[in-house]
Amino acid sequence: MINELVFSGFGGQGVLTAGLIFSEMALKEGKEVSWMPAYGPTMRGGKANSVVKFGDEALGSPNMEEIDVLVAMNQPSMEYAEFMKKEGKVFLNSDMIPDDTDIRNDVEVIRIPCVSLAQQIKNLKGANLVMVGAVIKKCAFFEKNFAIETLKDYFKEKGKGNYNEANEAAFLAGFDAIK
Amino acid sequence: MKEMWKGNHAIAEGALRGGLQFYSGYPITPQTEVMEFLSFRMPELGRHFVQAENEIAAINMVFGASATGLRSMTGSSGPGISLKQEGISYLSYNDLPAVIVNVQRWGAALGTLDSSQTDYLRDTRGGGHGDYRIIVWAPNSIQETVDLLYEAFEKAEEYRNPVEIYSEAALGQMMEPCEMPEFKERGYDLEWSWDGTDRDHERVDMDQKPIHHTAKFKKIIENEQRWESINTEDAEYVFVALGLPSRVARDAVKRLRSDGEKVGLIRPIAIWPYPKKAFEELPEGIRGFLSIETTDMGQHVEDVALAVKKGFKTNIPVYVHATNQKMPKVKEVIEVYRQLKAGNLKEAF
Repeated sequence: MINELVFSGFGGQGVLTAGLIFSEMALKEGKEVSWMPAYGPTMRGGKANSVVKFGDEALGSPNMEEIDVLVAMNQPSMEYAEFMKKEGKVFLNSDMIPDDTDIRNDVEVIRIPCVSLAQQIKNLKGANLVMVGAVIKKCAFFEKNFAIETLKDYFKEKGKGNYNEANEAAFLAGFDAIK
Repeated sequence: MKEMWKGNHAIAEGALRGGLQFYSGYPITPQTEVMEFLSFRMPELGRHFVQAENEIAAINMVFGASATGLRSMTGSSGPGISLKQEGISYLSYNDLPAVIVNVQRWGAALGTLDSSQTDYLRDTRGGGHGDYRIIVWAPNSIQETVDLLYEAFEKAEEYRNPVEIYSEAALGQMMEPCEMPEFKERGYDLEWSWDGTDRDHERVDMDQKPIHHTAKFKKIIENEQRWESINTEDAEYVFVALGLPSRVARDAVKRLRSDGEKVGLIRPIAIWPYPKKAFEELPEGIRGFLSIETTDMGQHVEDVALAVKKGFKTNIPVYVHATNQKMPKVKEVIEVYRQLKAGNLKEAF
């Protein structure tokens, strides 16, 4: 089986990074994986998304086809809901997407106030990692500690290991937000 | 150990592993990451990197470096490769090996930054003036991109002709796990290069050039057709696709097969020389071919039609699904197939 995850938001919200962290987890577990980014010419603002596919079989199309998990960091990202599988899960940033937003009724909606949660632990830039934590808990694609270690390794390799404590806290804030 | 590699970085590292010694280029989206990577990696390895003043200078530096026997490469996207055509024509005419990377974007002129395959006809027909061709390889994954680059210099040296890697913007941007091969060097002397001695450079006399070149290209056509066939043994309809769209086509074949549809896929890996042999070994009874490509009017479909014409006595219809700068979706290809089968699609050839 192949899992298709889409992380979508404005440029700067960390949706490419969130996808890369999942890719690393899948790679470490020996799975086939592809990561396909889409973004405009600006680094901040504008639409951005990354499509991550992973599974045990060889991967075909790396593009958005039929989404299992959509992480929507802003309102415009909700347009991708039309590509979701029935019974798919959409994790939406409830700090930026109003509760009365019209969403198809054959998908499971998980509202995470990821910006507020990130603010509470004083790591506003970690809102994407809050979402990563929530997806890991809810979907159980990967084991919790393995996910945290992979996340830390990812930032360490980027020379950003100093933020690992704050990043782990962001992950846990999302993880614990799922009851 | 497999690591996640971005397509453009993998092109650069794959070429280095394959023995790249000299690179010259000029930046252009979506290829710039290739040369950006090489700009620090080549000095690290003690090799030669030049950001040229323009594309024409870059290809002519490659000409010079190649003549002295260095494994040489340049790269660009559609507009830049157009500027390099005179140089590529000269490389082929003078029997000089080189590797050219085209990370394609859509369109004529400046076009857009979207991923596409709209350089197909130019690149598979030589591109510049004169009746020459270059070997063109179209990978569909990051690992295959690396594997082809790793082999490209040797192939260019074997035939003393340029080899092009025909990539796409999206293939350059995406990441996949990739195993990098060990570094290798040319373990043999080219015997003809300008190495400072007065040795014979094996230059072909002007009046012998037409015969010499005809023989060279015939040999390449005979020996260098490459392709992958999937589920074609009993196919009634055959999809033909290369590069990234071939992965969409492969998914579509898999799904249609599970519904009992007799469909198969031919994926040309070499797009020049075109793998006509793949068509010759198909079973009797095929009812149609469908080319799936990210061009506007259909370019690859012309080669499909030529191959079908050569491979079959009967006139089998050839269709095209050309999606411009947008990657087709699997569901869309399945729907096109159903329309084709129902007789609602107009044939291209």
